[in-house]
Amino acid sequence: MKRKNDDISTADRLELYRLQVEIRDCEKRAYDLFLQNLVKGTSHLSLGQEGIAAGVAMAMQPGDLSFCTYRGHAHTLARGVSMEKVLGELMQRDNGLMRGKGGSMHLTSVEHGVMGSYAIIGAHLPIACGAAWRAQYLGQKDVSVCFFGDGTTNIGAFHEALNFAVIWKLPVIFVCENNLYMEYTPISDVTAVPNPAGDRAAAYGLERIVIDGNDADVVYRTMQAAFARARAGEGPSLVECLTYRHSGHSRADPAKYRPKGELEEWLKRDPVKIYRARLAEFGIAEADIAEIEQESKRKVEVATAACKAAPIAPVEILTTDVYADGGWAWRN
Amino acid sequence: MDVLMPQLGETVAEGKILTWFKQIGDDVSEGDNIFEVETDKVTIEVQAITAGKLTEIRVAAGAVVNVGTVVAVIGGAAAASAVSPVPAPVTVLSAPAKAAPVPPSAIPTPRPSGLLDPFNEVRTASGQYGGQREANGLRMTPLARRLIKQSGIDLSRVVREANARGADRIRERDVRAAIQALPVIPTASEPARLVPTSVDDAVPINTIRQRTGQRLAESWRTAPHVFQAIDVNFGAVDAVRARHKDRFKAQHGTSLTYLPFIARAVCIAIHDFPQVNARFDGDRLLVSRDINLGIAVDLSHNGLVVPVVRRAGDLTLEGLAKAITRQIEKARTGTMTPDDLSGGTYTITNNGSFGTLFTAPIINVPQVAILSTDAIRKRPAVVETPQGDFIAVRPVGMVAQSFDHRAFDGAYSAAFLSRLKQTLESRDWESEFA
Amino acid sequence: MAELTYRDAVARGIAQEMERDERVVFLGEDVAKAGGVFKATVGLYEKFGPLRVRDTPISEQAILGAAMGAAMTGLRPIAEIMFADFAAVCFDYIANEFPKLRYMTNGQLGCPLVVRTGNGGGARFGAQHSQSIENWTMMIPGLKVVAPSTPLDVVGLMAAAVRDDNPVIFHEHKSLYAMKGEVPDGEIVDSLGTAKIVRPGKDATVLALAMMVPRAVQAAETLAAEHGIDCEVVDVRSLVPLDTQTILSSVVKTGRLFTVEENPRLCGWGAEIASIVADEVFWDLDGPIVRITTPHIPLPAADHLEDLAIPNAARIVERVLRVMNG
Repeated sequence: MKRKNDDISTADRLELYRLQVEIRDCEKRAYDLFLQNLVKGTSHLSLGQEGIAAGVAMAMQPGDLSFCTYRGHAHTLARGVSMEKVLGELMQRDNGLMRGKGGSMHLTSVEHGVMGSYAIIGAHLPIACGAAWRAQYLGQKDVSVCFFGDGTTNIGAFHEALNFAVIWKLPVIFVCENNLYMEYTPISDVTAVPNPAGDRAAAYGLERIVIDGNDADVVYRTMQAAFARARAGEGPSLVECLTYRHSGHSRADPAKYRPKGELEEWLKRDPVKIYRARLAEFGIAEADIAEIEQESKRKVEVATAACKAAPIAPVEILTTDVYADGGWAWRN
Repeated sequence: MDVLMPQLGETVAEGKILTWFKQIGDDVSEGDNIFEVETDKVTIEVQAITAGKLTEIRVAAGAVVNVGTVVAVIGGAAAASAVSPVPAPVTVLSAPAKAAPVPPSAIPTPRPSGLLDPFNEVRTASGQYGGQREANGLRMTPLARRLIKQSGIDLSRVVREANARGADRIRERDVRAAIQALPVIPTASEPARLVPTSVDDAVPINTIRQRTGQRLAESWRTAPHVFQAIDVNFGAVDAVRARHKDRFKAQHGTSLTYLPFIARAVCIAIHDFPQVNARFDGDRLLVSRDINLGIAVDLSHNGLVVPVVRRAGDLTLEGLAKAITRQIEKARTGTMTPDDLSGGTYTITNNGSFGTLFTAPIINVPQVAILSTDAIRKRPAVVETPQGDFIAVRPVGMVAQSFDHRAFDGAYSAAFLSRLKQTLESRDWESEFA
Repeated sequence: MAELTYRDAVARGIAQEMERDERVVFLGEDVAKAGGVFKATVGLYEKFGPLRVRDTPISEQAILGAAMGAAMTGLRPIAEIMFADFAAVCFDYIANEFPKLRYMTNGQLGCPLVVRTGNGGGARFGAQHSQSIENWTMMIPGLKVVAPSTPLDVVGLMAAAVRDDNPVIFHEHKSLYAMKGEVPDGEIVDSLGTAKIVRPGKDATVLALAMMVPRAVQAAETLAAEHGIDCEVVDVRSLVPLDTQTILSSVVKTGRLFTVEENPRLCGWGAEIASIVADEVFWDLDGPIVRITTPHIPLPAADHLEDLAIPNAARIVERVLRVMNG
């Protein structure tokens, strides 16, 4: 049954789908490249969490800033960074986003407002507050968005940042991707409250917001409201998005700690599948949907080829950019 | 009991008395305000902690004193002054309260940095100035070692200076004192510069030559040189040399010269006269059991160096030939290491190629002797046969030794030279190539 | 020219920079309305207002994190960590976040901020409020570290730190806050990475930092007057960048090196300098390099015990004498 267009336009829906599909395909490719030992080190994939990345990115305006964790490929892609630059960084090639100096956990593209991916749990929440403070101080209208997982809600910096953001009424949005596991442990085993972010909101005088993170439309709508509040000077929001990750915590983790059947249940609620059905529901042509899917696969192939052909970075960059003058001199 | 300027806040060091609420002679009850004080941080009333009469005011209103200073005394019934803990003046800072006055120009300008290499962030000092135990077990500081080597001063002089001070190690001041104690000779110190005339061309003397020159001058000054020469018939050597020189050249790429034969003969003669292979050390000779043979090498008239063939006494003739060639090559190509230049016990200077008859060389102190070999030329020689004496043409050259007369006498040196001659003339040199 | 206390110099330096550049903001605990627990930032709130001088909750991580976020996006923040010991509470930012940002992002992001903190002992605060932690900050690549010893240096180095585009840790010394010194009028800007020879000499080089500087000078005067040993006292001032040229030239001149360090013995700042000197100018050393430090213990609260632990002029004299004559 075809539904009439609601508050979300066809164009926006196509874009939301495109974002999710491209994230899915690029992350799958990263998974395979890791198995081929072309992606080195560690890699934290967002397979299954695409709805959040897409929904938030759609609600952002140019100039808005995002801060994410080491599980940041999805958010980096969602803000428009090319697959080549992301895969290049994972493959530690010279064409990577940071030429291999940062690695998978630190994807940054200031040009796209991706203000860093942070590997120390919780560190970037106060940093996002600082960026928001700057906007407030200078009278600028951008909003800072901060992504983190359920595990982060138990670390000190989370609490400091929330308190800080509320008392200074900062234009920052805290987005908790609750994928039910703090690394290898169920979050419920280690958290005093059932909804690790949502149930803490009241402690900071914030509204409890817990939503289905696998429905990009829900995420999009919720975030639009949060952005509006922030831009109006009404202060921060804390949004808990329920989701599930299809793979382990990192590439090294086969996730055998999950109870039988849990993954299968959640795969039924795969955000990409949900959204494909949503598009159909709103009468979007199968051809248009297929075109997005094919284009995504094509982009992945082009990016992969480019990265495989790219050289590694010249060794001279070993010591560049320690200090602002580009060098590393600690002495004269 | 003493009334002190109280500690009114962390990091506060002094206070100013604003007002006295009591006069001398007033009765004071416990808890009365007695004065008002102003510090960096706060203004506050100070109460009496004891009862009595205010007998002294030592600091007037308006004055500033350090925390802990006695500002007044309450006498009388409170002989409980003994009971009240009188804190020692709190000298929180042993720093002077004032920084030294500093002119505005005291803001230093940054020094520029050279290019930093990440794997050589710290530039290790270069230079090899000998080991720390070279002075007969007396240790030397790194600075002392460097100064000794660079000044060329005889280590024994320095040791003497250190011993005179009863020092257990040699330091800079011992080296400087030894240098100071050197007899002043105009050429040794910086003389007034000569004024070139219009027909003079100033030719700079390179560093190697300057350094060598200093050492030679020092040697000449300190060691009483005696020169002895002996003529040697190289016929036997020549015969063997002729038989083997082509094969030697083909095998080793260099010519088989007289030098290795002479060096081998020197080693044999040293065996019988070991004291020529020694270093002079004041009241004793350090006679070396190894023969570390220095071979003086002329660097294309640009100075002299003396690379050392270590343990030459253990080498065969061919081994000596190769080693000598190798050391000379290193000297000529400037690839010597500190080991190549140190530890010499006897030196040979070979002037044969210049055609001279004899040369009186300068001893390479602290060694005690040096051999010079000069041109070996066809000369008439007396050959003794059972049929009588005949004149024949033979290759003959002068072999001469300068020796330090403090180490031994002319008879000893002459005996060494005779042994050397005898070895060169009568040894079965062919057997060296077996 | 005026005579200023070290604490007033802090406020003066910050004010100078805040006047010059609107992007300079200042945050910390009790720094605004109360003027700081050490009264080092009195008057700034009144002068620059509540938007630029801000009181924070007791949230060291938030303080440094927010300073970093603001610095990354266009401001030039100064953040206070009240007692240097508390750096341990927010050490993630000092060790992992500020100094690595530029490198990991391949130059896309920088962190032009200043963390000023009350370092050092002598105030009887006990072990957790008296530490000298300059060595903790010296050892992390990507930071700059300074520790002024006079009011003049406070102003000049504060200006240099604020103007530097890198994260700078500014170690003020709590027990120097009451110290007075001459400070000229007008703008003062010093440079990071420069040491200062505060007492020239020829027999031995004595390096010192912050509160140890006046003690080293005092010891040098005693050594000269009573023992004929003429020490050159160098105020290191900047641990990173390190003015190795000044230090090395001094050691080449004197042949001897002593360091006077308030930090506890192991891995103190003097250990690194001793290593550099022994490496680069080995052949100019006429004796062993000796470090005079606080022992490797927590600091006690009792005044006589604390005074015993932290190097004082008498101990410096005794050690230099023993080593020079030994």
